[in-house]
This record gives sequence, C-alpha cells and structure tokens, in this order.
Amino acid sequence: MSETLQRLVGQLRAVVVKEIRQTTQDRRMIFLLTVAPFLQLLLFGFAIDLDVDQVPTAVVDLDHTPESRETIAGMLADGTLAHVATPPSVPDAERLLEDGTVAVVLVLPEGYGRDLARGVPTQAQVLVDGTDPTRANVAGGAASGYLGLEGLRLAQAQIAARLPEGRTLPSVVVRPRLFYNPTQSTPIYMVPGIAGMLLLIITTIVVSMGLAREREMGTLEAVRVTPLPTPVLMVGKIAPFVVVGLFDVTLAITAGAWIFDVPIRGSLLLFYGITALYLLTTVGVGLFVSTVSQTQQQAFLGGFIFVLPAMLLSGTMTPIHAMPAWMQPLTALNPLRFYMEAVRAILLKGATFTEVRVQAAALLVYGLAIMALATSRFRKRVS
Amino acid sequence: MSTDGVAIRAVGLRRAFADVQALAGIDVQVRRGEIYGLVGPDGAGKTTTIRILAGLVDADAGDVSVLGHRPDDGAVREQVGLMPQRYALYGDLSVGENLDFFRQLYCLPWREASPRIERLLELTRLKRFVDRRADDLSGGMYKKLALACALLHQPAVLLLDEPTNGVDPVSRRELWELLGTFVGQGMAVLVSTPYMDEAERCHRVGLLFEGRMLAEGAPGRLVRELDHPVYVVEGSDRARVTRALTGVAGVRAMSPAGARVRLVVTPDGTPEVARALATVDATLRPVRADFEDVFLARVGADDAAGRAA
Repeated sequence: MSETLQRLVGQLRAVVVKEIRQTTQDRRMIFLLTVAPFLQLLLFGFAIDLDVDQVPTAVVDLDHTPESRETIAGMLADGTLAHVATPPSVPDAERLLEDGTVAVVLVLPEGYGRDLARGVPTQAQVLVDGTDPTRANVAGGAASGYLGLEGLRLAQAQIAARLPEGRTLPSVVVRPRLFYNPTQSTPIYMVPGIAGMLLLIITTIVVSMGLAREREMGTLEAVRVTPLPTPVLMVGKIAPFVVVGLFDVTLAITAGAWIFDVPIRGSLLLFYGITALYLLTTVGVGLFVSTVSQTQQQAFLGGFIFVLPAMLLSGTMTPIHAMPAWMQPLTALNPLRFYMEAVRAILLKGATFTEVRVQAAALLVYGLAIMALATSRFRKRVS
Repeated sequence: MSTDGVAIRAVGLRRAFADVQALAGIDVQVRRGEIYGLVGPDGAGKTTTIRILAGLVDADAGDVSVLGHRPDDGAVREQVGLMPQRYALYGDLSVGENLDFFRQLYCLPWREASPRIERLLELTRLKRFVDRRADDLSGGMYKKLALACALLHQPAVLLLDEPTNGVDPVSRRELWELLGTFVGQGMAVLVSTPYMDEAERCHRVGLLFEGRMLAEGAPGRLVRELDHPVYVVEGSDRARVTRALTGVAGVRAMSPAGARVRLVVTPDGTPEVARALATVDATLRPVRADFEDVFLARVGADDAAGRAA
C-alpha cells in the first residue's frame, strides 16, 4: 500500500471511529437508530390496515318477510358489512349514522318480499357515511354489487322458467385471481415501503444534521486546518450511517418476513444493489441540505422538506394513479418512487435486474446528480 | 521556509464582509522563536487576520505567505497549529479521545506521538482528566486541551485566537508560560488578545483598531516612546473631575483608576488640562505609562485625526 493511501485510510478510520464513539455514547441515539425503526415497522405493519371489512351496519327491515331476511343475510355473508344494530325506523337508523355508531344503513321497505314474489320492480336503500372515502367506496360497492347481482339472478330465474327444456341463458362469470399478494394483506404491500422510508429518514436527516453539527460546534474549522482532505471527512462521516441504514433495512425485511409473511422472492444481491443506488440519493440530499444549513435545527427541517413529500408522493401510502393527473408526472422526479417500485418487484414478484433496470437507471442518475451537486457545494462551503 | 527566519509574512491584507471593512490593509511579520501579539478591542480585525493566516478565509487583497507557502497549501497544514477562539473540540469525546483523533488526522504514528501526548498532558496538567468529556472541563482546562491538540504535531507556526478569553487568572498565567516553553524551541507564535496586560508578555505587538495597524513594535519600546504624558488626578472626586474635563482638547483618554481618574494627555496639552482641573481644586500627578496608555493614546490620536479629516 502506498504511503499516501495508508495516510488516507488512517485518517478515514479516525473519522469513522470518532463518529461511532460519538454515536454510541448517546444511548438515545442508539435507540433512535436501531430500536425505533423496528418499532415503527411493527406499528405500521399492524396499524396501517387498508383492508376494508367489518364495516358497522344497521339493518332496517320494514318488510319482515323471508325474502327480506334472505337478502339481508346474503349482503352480510362476505364479511365486508357487519350487522351491529337493528333500529325500528329509518330516522332512528339515520341518527346512528350521524353519531358514528354505524357507517352503513340497509333499508328494506314494506312490500319488498311481495314485489319480489310478484316479479315487479322493487327498491332497497343503502345509506353510506362518506367521510372515509375508501371505506364508503368499498362498503357501498359491496352492498350495491350484491343487490345488483341478486336482481340479475331473480330476473334470470324468471326468464329461465319460461325457456324450453334444455335451453340456458348466456352468462359471464368473473373469477379474479390475485397474484403476488393473494390475500391482499396490507403489510406485504407496506413493509418494502417502510424499509425505503426508514432508509430515507436515517440517511438524509442524520447525515445532514451530523455535518451541520460540526459546523455549528466549530469543529469543522478545527478539522479543516489539519491535513485531513475534505472528501475523507465526508466519507468518514457518512459511512457509519450508511451501515446503520443497511442494518435497518435488513431488520425491516427480516421482521417483515417473519412477522408479516412478506415474501423474499427475488435476489437479495439485487435488493442490496438497488438499495446502494438509492443510498447515493438519500446521502446526497443529506449532504446538500447540510450545505444550505447553518444549524442542526435548520438541517433537520431542511431534511424534512425533502423527506415528507418524497414519502407521500412515492406511491407507498397512496397509489400514484390515484393522485391528481398533473401531479403524477412529478413523481418521476422522486427517487423513492423508483426504489419502492424496484423493491416491491424484487421482493414480491421475484423480479430480475432486467425487469427493474429502468428504476436502477433512474436511481443511478438521480444519485450521481445530487451527489455531484452536494459535493461541489460542500467543498465550496468548506473552503 | 525563508532564510531570514520570517515564518509569517502578510503584506497589505484587506478583507471586507458585506459592507464592513474588517481589514483595511495591514502588514504582519512573525519570526521563528517570536511571540507576536495582535492586540485590539473586539471587532478590530484580529480573528479575520488569524483566519486568513490559517487559510480558512481568503483575503480580498494582499500577499500572505506562511513558511513560504500559501496558507491553504496542503504542505503548510502539517506545519501550522490553530487554536480557534470558539469551541473547536468534540465535547462528547474525552480529553484522551480528542487528542487521539487529532493525532490520527496529522497521521502521527502512536509510538512517536505517545510520549508527546504524555508531555503535553503533564504540561497542561490534564493528565488526571484524560477520561473526562471535553464538555465537562472548566473553561481554562478546555482551552489548555485545545492548545494541546494544536501543539500535537509540533507545528512551526502556532496561531492562537484569544486563547485566554474566559479563562481564570491562574490558567491564564499557565497558558502564557506554556507558550514561552514552545517559543524557546523556535516556534513562531501569533496570538490575539483584547487584554492589554497580556501584550507585555509578547516579543512584539501590533495594535489593531478598526482594521488598521495603529502601531507595531516591542511593547517596552512602544511604552518608552510614548510621547503622551500620563497622570492620575488628585484632590477631587471622579464625577467632578470628569465634568471639569469634558470637552478639554488636551485630554486624549480618560479612564477610572480606583476612586481616581487616569489621564493620557496630548504632548502639549498639560497646561490646558491643569487649568481645567484647577477649577475643581484638583491637580495632576505624573505616573509611569503602561501598555494600555499606549493603546489609548494611539486610538485617541487616531480618533482626533479622523475628526480633523
């Protein structure tokens, strides 16, 4: 090893050791870097349940016939709606809807069974609380879907009764089969997203605050008059937190696999490769934020200005196609979006490099661009 | 390194921050084995000068060379030690860890550095506190640790920005004695201070005021060559004396000296001042000038010249 290289390695080790010493001395910091992300994973995994079922439902049966009871039983059968109240009248049911006891009211009017038996049009009413749009959509859809099918079935039965022997009516049966997440479990969808968010928060905010802290404390200047080259200082300060970030990601997918049955179908090597490309960006943003911040407080808030929209506009929480049309192209500027797509593809679908090459290229381009910008700004700020 | 023994040479240094002219063209020269004191009030430009010499800030104009190189030259970094005015150590690391960190930044092998660290810890009397966090040290001990870190690589040039600011009198004396030890070995030391009494501990001083060098030389010579007589006013209370002397042109500077008033008077102002004091039954008693009088006389003369212009 040449003497210069030996010197650089020695200096790098000094900065890394110093960084580790400073971090491990602070128990709260250790907790925030290791235990807290794990707790967040559990919290998100268990608490963020986007599946809509067991929606509290009030049933107002004004008909009291076998037909009305059969309809009600049929509507409740798949578990989307849960029968929790049986108010005597529609105004009573509306009161329950208003005070939040129920989110759906089914009303079967008097004469419902009689009309059905006669074969004349009849009505059933569904009242839905629309404050939670997702729940309203699913619950309303379940109720009207069932009633629609039920109407069709009755009509078909009447027509079929008049058909000559041996003839049937044409019909299409839809049998959806879900791939990759067949039980439609939210954690399987969320855990890769949470891994990306943890990495984003830890590397971006910790890196930006770490450098801002050196500036605030005056130590940056004391180090600058030594022969330590600026890039060595940067790498030494960043490297420990990249390792922490990778540890947290490993923790997230391991816990995800054990606790939430998140599959790991693709190559782990590819997963870590994509993660490394993603880290270029998150660390680069952290570095950039530190060059525009004088204090740790500014660095923290500056980091959040990036982290928050990056998370919300990545498709982790809400699908990109559900965003306003003008906003959807903007998500192409969001590195987290590409990381999320790639990681979900690798873990859930077992995607190979060819299938995630677009995402990998995007991460590489963004990573190199922000790194170049941040490094040049950092060096300019320092000298 | 130049052959004439000059370690620091700065000529015509100018530097402005926004619309404040921090340095308006100053010259500084420090030789090996010399303590040069940059003396002046807050805002005189002392820190800016030191930061330029350390390569932390560029001058707008002027030539700077440290050991014959530009101050931001990598070769110079190995030869220069800086003790900044503000905190410059890792407060959450111990005394020993701070020293070891800086040892590694200077790429000093442990075998070579270890006896040096021992000696510095002994000289600074920090040995007992080697495991204490830097943040938990007293002001004086903290400064001594900063000095030890700056001395670790045995620099040929040492820059100290107000090293005794916020330090108790005992530690102050110790710090100066430490400096004396190292200068004896040929180090060039440039130290800034707002304390006039510390100027007398330097081989040469530069009086810096509003970015200009008002005077430069050995402190003893500057005191001897002072052409302003210095007096203590006897025979009346301070308030009456102050009133009687307000607006008298012969008074260059007036400062409290215990219950009395100390005066620096213009070279030919003594009769006028004596007349003004007679109205309050007070008289002038000549006293020996000290360095502070030199400073007050120079600043007062500078002010008067500024008003005349």
